[in-house]
Amino acid sequence: MTILSQARRRVLLSTAFAGLFAATAPASAQQSGQRITITGEISDSWCTISGLMFAKGTAHHQCAVWCALGGIPVAIRDSGGNLYLILKIGDDEDSAGNPRVARMATHEVTVDGELLERDGVKYLLVDRIADDKGVITMTQEEHGIQPFGN
Amino acid sequence: MRDSLKALIIAAGLTMAPAIAAEPWNIPHEKQAVLKGRVVDALCQLKGRCAADCGGGKRQVGLVLADGTFRLVAKSNIDFAGATADLSPYCGREIEADGLLIENPAVTLFFVQRLRERPDQDWIAAERFKTGWEARNGKAEEWWRADPDANRIIAADGPFGIKGLQPKPKP
Repeated sequence: MTILSQARRRVLLSTAFAGLFAATAPASAQQSGQRITITGEISDSWCTISGLMFAKGTAHHQCAVWCALGGIPVAIRDSGGNLYLILKIGDDEDSAGNPRVARMATHEVTVDGELLERDGVKYLLVDRIADDKGVITMTQEEHGIQPFGN
Repeated sequence: MRDSLKALIIAAGLTMAPAIAAEPWNIPHEKQAVLKGRVVDALCQLKGRCAADCGGGKRQVGLVLADGTFRLVAKSNIDFAGATADLSPYCGREIEADGLLIENPAVTLFFVQRLRERPDQDWIAAERFKTGWEARNGKAEEWWRADPDANRIIAADGPFGIKGLQPKPKP
């Protein structure tokens, strides 16, 4: 094989790979988001919107751990009731059933990241956790352990 | 004549039977719906950062509908469990998902109860999470109470998430 034919083969291969990537990447990819800092409580989206149980603070911690490990989307709920669904934290792109995220269930955190809004959902790509105060909302006296009481 | 009429009524009833059969869960803003769309992982869809098999259960997944709407599928038919195990095997393929569309002002999510690839197929209950969990951990009546990761976290930080804070003994 000549040097010219080798070069030509490389070009053809790289073109083929580029074409393959273009075919598999979604058309709407590369959405550009807004830089944002969010403060709120880490909570699972199921308990937060189902209204079937009390989903705040200490009373909800155990349940939130279960939901996060079960793969339910985890969100940060700010003081205005907005929900920001977490799709990554730093380089960790495991957004379902991630023990690292489950460990922070019901913690009050401040995070920096990128906000993407699409079809009624606020998605958050967390760059860094600027502050983690742990669990600070004390709800267990009134609500016990949700949802079963133990 | 009467038998023919009865057969006609039954046939008409079957024809008119709604395709939607999701069980209502009485969640605020819920609406029974069958979504038809392509299975994608959310990070891939939104940012073009794609993983093989939509993350194989480790990434949030959803459906891109024919009109381009992206619906995150957040919950399966198993208690405390999401739908990634149910949808990821269909990554990149079109499916029908029967469940509840929750159009909460704070967030719009879909909770799937059953799915299939084609109308001529039987519905498959969205319960794959439990199958996978039991393959890894063994049988359990309540997976969440037997989950090793959950029990590690709760043992370390307590049921309220604060070390040393324990429930009051029951009288």
